[in-house]
Amino acid sequence: MSAAVSPQLELRGVTKRFGGVAAVDGVSFEVAKGDIVGIIGPNGAGKTTLLNCISGTQRLDRGDIRLNGSSIAGISPHRVAKLGIGRTFQIVKPFGSMTVRENAAIGALFGSAQARRGVAGAFALADEVLELVGLRAKADHPVSALTIPDRKRLEVARAVATRPQLLLLDEVMAGLNNVEVDDALDMVRAVHATGVTVLLIEHVMRVIVGVCRRAIVLDFGHVLAQGEPEVVLRDERVIQAYLGERYAKRLKS
Amino acid sequence: MIATAGSQRRWRRIFLVVGAIVAAYALLAPLSSLDAAQSAGIPLLTDKFWFRIATYVVMFVVLATAWNIIGGITGYAAFGNVAFFGIGAYTTGMLIAKAKWPFLVALPLAPVLAALFAALVGLPLLRLRGHYFAVASLGVGVAVGELVQNIDYNGQPVFGGASGLFLPIYAVGHRGLFFFYLMCGAAAVAIAVTWWVLRSRFGYGLIAIRENEDAAAVIGVNTTAYKVAAFALAAALTGLAGGIFSQWNVFINQDNTFPIEYNVQMILMALLGGTGTVFGPAAGALLLQLLIQFLGGSLPISLDIPFVSSEARPIIAQVILGLLLIVVVVFVPRGAIDFFGGRTRLSLAYLRRSLRETSL
Amino acid sequence: MAAFVQLVILGLLAGGVYVAVGVGFGLVWGVLNIVNLAHGALVIVGGYITWQLFTAFGLDPFLTLPVDAVALFVLGYALQRGVINRIIRAPLLFTFLLTFGVNLVIVNILLLIFGSDFRSVTPTYSGQGFELGGIVIPYVRLASLGAAILLSAGLAFLLSRTRIGLSIHAIAADRDAAQLVGIDLRHAYAVTYGLGAACAGVAGGLIAMIQAITPTAGEPYTLQAFVVVILGGLGRVSATVVGGLAFGLVEAFGQSIPGSGSVFANAIAFGLMVLVLVTRPQGLMGRLR
Repeated sequence: MSAAVSPQLELRGVTKRFGGVAAVDGVSFEVAKGDIVGIIGPNGAGKTTLLNCISGTQRLDRGDIRLNGSSIAGISPHRVAKLGIGRTFQIVKPFGSMTVRENAAIGALFGSAQARRGVAGAFALADEVLELVGLRAKADHPVSALTIPDRKRLEVARAVATRPQLLLLDEVMAGLNNVEVDDALDMVRAVHATGVTVLLIEHVMRVIVGVCRRAIVLDFGHVLAQGEPEVVLRDERVIQAYLGERYAKRLKS
Repeated sequence: MIATAGSQRRWRRIFLVVGAIVAAYALLAPLSSLDAAQSAGIPLLTDKFWFRIATYVVMFVVLATAWNIIGGITGYAAFGNVAFFGIGAYTTGMLIAKAKWPFLVALPLAPVLAALFAALVGLPLLRLRGHYFAVASLGVGVAVGELVQNIDYNGQPVFGGASGLFLPIYAVGHRGLFFFYLMCGAAAVAIAVTWWVLRSRFGYGLIAIRENEDAAAVIGVNTTAYKVAAFALAAALTGLAGGIFSQWNVFINQDNTFPIEYNVQMILMALLGGTGTVFGPAAGALLLQLLIQFLGGSLPISLDIPFVSSEARPIIAQVILGLLLIVVVVFVPRGAIDFFGGRTRLSLAYLRRSLRETSL
Repeated sequence: MAAFVQLVILGLLAGGVYVAVGVGFGLVWGVLNIVNLAHGALVIVGGYITWQLFTAFGLDPFLTLPVDAVALFVLGYALQRGVINRIIRAPLLFTFLLTFGVNLVIVNILLLIFGSDFRSVTPTYSGQGFELGGIVIPYVRLASLGAAILLSAGLAFLLSRTRIGLSIHAIAADRDAAQLVGIDLRHAYAVTYGLGAACAGVAGGLIAMIQAITPTAGEPYTLQAFVVVILGGLGRVSATVVGGLAFGLVEAFGQSIPGSGSVFANAIAFGLMVLVLVTRPQGLMGRLR
């Protein structure tokens, strides 16, 4: 990683408070173009809040967020999307009365400068994306007929259809069983292979080790450690934060 | 799956054919009152009194179709759209009565002013969701009506005050016909706009907002701009109807241009016919307005209730209307459109199901 | 200064009625999530009961207030149990339309029974008052302010200290969880609406003593109840009391602006409501949820 090339996404001292509590407190890290990075941390570590700050759903209180060198801190979500950051929600938010294809097509109708196109073009792009995430066969199904794993896929499809350069995935594996997680991992790899930078939140370790090149550990709003997943996950502080002090001691002895 | 699609298509075809026949009759029958038609011996298919009711019906087609854009497609329960009707009526009315503008020059300003006002109040109001938006928009509707009636300048009411505003009668042959067709034109514009919206990128954005506003924002829909645009579009169409109403009715005041019950009626019409569709609100308007006129005793076919004096009849009509409203809301929450398109058939099981779905 | 004090006193006295109108509406809205467009009609029903008892039996109007409360509670309970409970899970538009339908039916039935003449309740002491520092304070106004405060205190007590009150709190917090701990939702909903209607009935009794009523006079009270509840903030009786008094003050000061009629004050009140909604949706007294 040469210093001359500015990172695609850069967070500097990002802070978000709720009342007196800092949910995210001075978080700084960088994501290089084409990378696939995982953010892990226990529940309440501030992962989703951080994602909300990046995607503009929540306004940060302090710090700066830069995309390709220019600040995107505090701008509204639709402009963030237009600049090329797509995201999913942990609790899926499909457009309920529409079909699967229409959901994806709306992403392509709006989205980044690369996506925005007419209605017919959007449906064509939607079909491509549904193929990619493995929902092609269910394109005409109403959302209400989808299983939980498929709804998560749809959430990803809609975000991918916005043609982002950076994709933020908020716990797309949560609530899935082992087989389903494997399928979902394949999907994330497939999406990444199209050239999209991926920043994903998980608290399933297996996911991070499985697909990520780098991992960032959050705890109480702070960055606890970052680096290669295997190294980071062996870090004593991380184990403590994650599994509790007693378990950490047992590992040491 | 295939069988349903087939019957759906068949039902839609039947629905469209019946609708087209009704529309064609409604549009062409008034022409039989023209002198030329009379001298040619064509029997009079309508009497002039009917124009008034027909024009009212078509006016509500405009109002319900316009409400559908913000309420049905965008999903914001606007309860104060009557403000736009009143603003449209008073814009045209003032320009004609005070500034002596010709009607057709004054009319285009009605939708413009209504839309401007909607954009202005929409910016803060559309940040509210759910009940709060509904209540705040109702508040705006009431407040505008009262302001219009009460604004004084140098002790003189600016907008005619409580005694209202009289307009000169518009000099045109076959006035009844003229305003009927003008209102039909407004209805055609409203329906065409809805048709376009539902096929456009704009419309998809609005539907995305209705379905999930947060998700719409993160895929790149400029939610504020879209909501305000939808509100202004609805306001423009509503204002257009108001503008036509003012010259047609010649006299406007707070009671006939800002009635709160119009807010409820347009929503009920859209619900009856099916919100979010192109023709649903129009069909609902036709049904409900004819029913209201029937219950009010304005139609030639009228209802005779035994043991009820003629004075009490309009009151009984209102009671029936209220009960009907309750029944529709409780039993047919998805609108009459459900029965077309083969999705469901009206049956006891359907009524029981819709009751169970929403019941505590 | 004296004029200012006078306006404040007049405003607070007028606010009493708004408190009474607001508490029931706020309860139904806060707990059942229903914006009750029939509220004004219920207020008027209360007014007519007071008028009927006063004219037919010469009962003191303040003694009719408990009758209003009981009668309206029964009516409200039946309405919620029989009709409104059936659309609780429907989108909010439906509750709006349904309660408007109920409003239409009640108003027109009143028209059939009582006609459209104005009726007023004028006990011997109406129009009398005492002077305090150059300001005449009418007995009826003062007593109705007292009654409104008493009504609110009673409601607050009921909600915080009784079994049914606690179950109302529970359904307001989480309907499904409340059901899980064994609360009969249909009954609790009906009781809540009944209590809201009872408050409306008492408000109607008070209003009948202050101004003439007609069956169609209810609509402004529905709108005023909105404003009051929004001004104060949803969810607490005490907030509604503040909202009601604040509304009375706004109205009094609005009417004092030279050249503005009484209706003009209404527009000011609604403007204020929209302002509060947009800048401070939780109300003057409410907490952010």
